[in-house]
Amino acid sequence: MQLFVYILRRLLTVAVQVASILLAIFFLIRMLPADPVARLVGSFATPEIYAHTKAALHLDKPLLTQLAIYLGLFPRAVGPGLLQGDLGRSWVTSSPVSQEIWQFLPITLELITLSFVVACVLAIPMGILAALKPNGLLDRGVFSFSLFAGAQPDFWWGLIFIYFFYFVWRLAPAPLGHLAPLTVAPPVVTGFPLLDALLTGRPDVSLEALHHLMLPVVTMAFIVSGPIVKMVRQNVIRALQSNYILYARACGLSQFHIAAYTFRNAFAPTLTIIAVLYGYMWGGAVLVEQVFSLGGLGQYALRSILAFDYPAIQGVVLTITIGSLLIYLAMDILHSVADPRIVNSR
Amino acid sequence: MPPSATSVSRIIHRAWRGTPLGLGIVIMCSSLGLAVFGPVIAPYDPQIPVSAAAEPPPRLRDLAPLILKSLQGRLANPVHWFGTDDSGLDIFSRVIAAPRVDVLIALAATGLSLGAGTLLGLIAGYYSNWMTEALTRASDVIQSFPLFILAMVLVALTGRNVGNIIVTLAVLFIPVYLRLTRAQVLSERTRNYVEAARATGNRELVIALRHVLPNSLAPSLIQAPITIGAAILQTAGISFVGAGVRPPTPEWGIMIASSANSIILGEWWPSVFPGLAISLTVLGYALVGNALENRYG
Repeated sequence: MQLFVYILRRLLTVAVQVASILLAIFFLIRMLPADPVARLVGSFATPEIYAHTKAALHLDKPLLTQLAIYLGLFPRAVGPGLLQGDLGRSWVTSSPVSQEIWQFLPITLELITLSFVVACVLAIPMGILAALKPNGLLDRGVFSFSLFAGAQPDFWWGLIFIYFFYFVWRLAPAPLGHLAPLTVAPPVVTGFPLLDALLTGRPDVSLEALHHLMLPVVTMAFIVSGPIVKMVRQNVIRALQSNYILYARACGLSQFHIAAYTFRNAFAPTLTIIAVLYGYMWGGAVLVEQVFSLGGLGQYALRSILAFDYPAIQGVVLTITIGSLLIYLAMDILHSVADPRIVNSR
Repeated sequence: MPPSATSVSRIIHRAWRGTPLGLGIVIMCSSLGLAVFGPVIAPYDPQIPVSAAAEPPPRLRDLAPLILKSLQGRLANPVHWFGTDDSGLDIFSRVIAAPRVDVLIALAATGLSLGAGTLLGLIAGYYSNWMTEALTRASDVIQSFPLFILAMVLVALTGRNVGNIIVTLAVLFIPVYLRLTRAQVLSERTRNYVEAARATGNRELVIALRHVLPNSLAPSLIQAPITIGAAILQTAGISFVGAGVRPPTPEWGIMIASSANSIILGEWWPSVFPGLAISLTVLGYALVGNALENRYG
């Protein structure tokens, strides 16, 4: 019951945060000096076309009216809006923004999820082993690696990996997309190309998608493992200094058992940092997607920003914000389940 | 008298422990030096093409004789140490001229956000009314935005020049310092010296600025080098995707972007050297930040 109330209160906070971010981005992009109408109609348009386009995009109306139209407060007069679940139409392609986001988001999620799985599988054991002997050789090496990896430009490392793995060693495919240019994409079942290929009986396409994701995943996992190793090492060192570990050592438990006990208690703050990083990567995968031309949400955001496509920008920011906040909420719930002190103390 | 083995080994041990900080300081000072003198000491003009096609850098075995000859002044034209890119621009000149843009943007943005963020954090932590609550919530909202996308939006929509990039990055980093300072101020304002200052008749504002603020700056100052590194990465990132500084300004991100297409054809040198520069510089600032954290954190 307490958990239920906690979740309800957090969901309310999330709703308020999403609303404030939506308002912030809506007014921010309209108050900046950019002119999306000029970008759309081109430099040879007549004043009538300019005025007509501006009216069609509702940019000539007062800001609050534009907000009301976007929210869908006048469904009969103007058309559906956010309250009816419509994110608007892209000013560049005229297709519904929600449809485009639905098309691009799964690719980003595949990239990020795979990268995080690889990063955690490598980084968490490294962090634990390093923390077991502080200031030892392994610890110093691991800490230097974490400092190094956290300071790297991910887009540059993507290019370096392309040079070595594609050009020099011919191990990876050309960075031309999440599938080879001549391959037909699998029919949409879940939206995730990897799963769809498996579900529709084309495992070869699934393998090809994995092959194309190989380098982007390596690049992202390398960058993301830096902070993860650092946090795991810090948390395990802190947990190792507690009294119950001292007692376990005094009882003569083996190093392996001690490590297992410590990990269970260092798990919660580690999970928090992984969740924060995962949420951050929803918007932070832009560079890797751009380098490898994966066609994910980040590239869509980039294209919308450069084209001054306001509904698309709003839609992407809304999606990323809701996604990140829901992930933080899920992690907090897991944290409460793992550590009952959190819920009971409220 | 010869020094005893103990003192020599202690010196070596301390030097070994201080090496990362030393390296970081060297890199930091080099980046500042290049930011000031880079375009002046560059052998070629960073924005004027000097060769017809992309030339690779000199081979390793030719390197030593070339260095000797250039020191003796026997070369007609300066050597293209890092080669030239597809547009014929000398890469070495552009790499050492770029800190004037990258490092300057990072330092200015960090300085602005540090100054504004600590002052705002002081106010938010020292006075507790609805206005400071609203300020803290607004700062949380800014921090919940996807950082990179917001940076792109702000720069692309306000105009892609250096000033706007500085202001954008400063605004995006203010919440970090606001939160750090506010947390420190909240714990400092209950201390006895604040009560003593109040008892001697100081105004609240004077107490806040003269007594509480200097004691709350430590976490922010430790965070500063890390923010500088993050700002360099952000600047290079948004310039790489085309939403940052305009070409042909020498800037590490743009240099990597303009040569990204030719790397799959085997021309590695226009992309590798700018990236190495970014990597080393940010690492240097991270080392300094780490040393500060170990000493004062």
